[in-house]
Amino acid sequence: MATPSKNMKAFYKQKKKNTTGGITKSKSSKSTKPAATDIAQLPHGVPLDIKDADIEEEEKALREFDMNMAYGPCIGITRLGRWERAQRLGLNPPKEIEKLVKSGKVKLQSLFDGRM
Amino acid sequence: MEVDSQEQLQRKQSTYLSLDENFEIQKEVYRGQQYSQIYFARLHMMRTLLYSLVPNWKSHLPVCTVLELEEGKECIIVGTLYKHMKLKPCILDEYSKERSVAPLIKPHNFMHQDDYLVLEDESGRVKLGGTKLSPSVYVTGVVVALHGKETSAGAFFVEDVLEAGLPPQIKQPLKSREDKYVVFVSGLSIGRSSSNPLQFQLLVDHITGHLGDEEEQGLAAEIVHLVIVGNSVEISRGLLNGQNLASKDQSRLSEPFKELDILLTQVFSSHHCDDQHFKVSLLKFLYCSCCLSIFIYVQIAASLPLDIMPGSSDPANFALPQQPLNRCLFPGSTTFNTFRSCTNPHCFELDSIRFLGTSGQNIDDLTKYSEAKDKLDFLERTLRWRHLAPTAPNTLGCYPFTDRDPFLIDSCPDVYFVGNQEKYETCLLKGLEGQLVRLICIPRFCETGVAVVVSVFHLPGC
Repeated sequence: MATPSKNMKAFYKQKKKNTTGGITKSKSSKSTKPAATDIAQLPHGVPLDIKDADIEEEEKALREFDMNMAYGPCIGITRLGRWERAQRLGLNPPKEIEKLVKSGKVKLQSLFDGRM
Repeated sequence: MEVDSQEQLQRKQSTYLSLDENFEIQKEVYRGQQYSQIYFARLHMMRTLLYSLVPNWKSHLPVCTVLELEEGKECIIVGTLYKHMKLKPCILDEYSKERSVAPLIKPHNFMHQDDYLVLEDESGRVKLGGTKLSPSVYVTGVVVALHGKETSAGAFFVEDVLEAGLPPQIKQPLKSREDKYVVFVSGLSIGRSSSNPLQFQLLVDHITGHLGDEEEQGLAAEIVHLVIVGNSVEISRGLLNGQNLASKDQSRLSEPFKELDILLTQVFSSHHCDDQHFKVSLLKFLYCSCCLSIFIYVQIAASLPLDIMPGSSDPANFALPQQPLNRCLFPGSTTFNTFRSCTNPHCFELDSIRFLGTSGQNIDDLTKYSEAKDKLDFLERTLRWRHLAPTAPNTLGCYPFTDRDPFLIDSCPDVYFVGNQEKYETCLLKGLEGQLVRLICIPRFCETGVAVVVSVFHLPGC
């Protein structure tokens, strides 16, 4: 793996909280596809229209957990599986991550899952 | 010669405990994971162990990761070794546009003098220099601690190596002082055109007490366990070429299994025919000489417990750990509760004596990618590295475990065996903390006719 960077600005841009998504449409308030020039997209054109600020925070925390080398590779294993493995190996992963993953509101897999 | 003495010998019993749970994969779920998970688990477990050993080795030196190396700073790094081998077959060679004249490859060994070692951990990798670490001894997948410093060229000059060493051994005193024997046989290869069914029949007759005089039968009654270490059947390649089988070929496919099942059922049966046997013995046993002629035969009551392990030619999965052979293959033998189909590798305890061994794939793979003066040397290395199959999953098929590496050896066995080797070899290995292990190479029975009998009473440390 390449050296992980905690700051992921290189491939996704941090959004301001009150942006609607780059395209101002008169009719729909929900933007379906932000302009490619404005916001960097993930591969496969997945938009980052996370509306709820809380979920964004949680997702950020989970991405930090994914990127942390100490817990091993994040690809091919669910976040919960990875957390439990870290727990079993005595690495003391933060308990908040366990709560977040078990709450069911967030993605079960890391960002790269299905894309590598 | 008179037959039919009324004596009854009791076969000795011993307590058996199977420790194969670690090697079973029924509970594992494949979610598309890659081998990075098993390497992470291996590195983490071994690194934790090595970190605990480093203070006793060189306490004055700092321990750092590969990324934290500084030029000229002497330190200790821990990581997984990777051996770059020039002659190792690579799938990309098929796609190479340049078809240069390939160097002559010895198919049994891929070593080359230009091979070099690289140490890798999560943060990075570094090429290893110096003469202390010989690429001919090490293979990809071994986790070691290295003392040295980074050179100006960016390589790591190795001054000293720390291997994990033999794991701790739990010694339990033998409960009884009576002598008991365990028989190991491997490579029966029933179904091979060159295999002689008489050889295995003679072995079965001997261990069930049908051969020999009272003394021999007394010895046979002291055999408490039989382990068949892989490659029990061999199916002709012509039958497995992917074509649909004609009905006559289908029966040919199952013949080796039927033959094996019949022979194994005899092992369990305590009844035998009333005929006298005249047989010329072709077997060489290691604890008694060849015996001929007829005697007063004595019934040995109670059947012999049997473990059968899969090997590379058996109908089990290819990747290690191989799962137990399906019980449907042995309709006659599975009716006996002392018949056990086991995994490969196989670990069990008999009267508190720990046995651990494989059917040979791990040692054969080490033979291809490294060199040693004999097979016992490879066995010793796997114990010192505390890993049964370090080349898995690099060159040896392996299941992609996510949370553990089942091949790590936590506890030193008393008997460590490997099957399907060319010849019988054995030695006693002594560890620094008083561990004593009997290393055994079991030869292929169809080629040598040799089975190995281990006397439990005479094991050191018991």
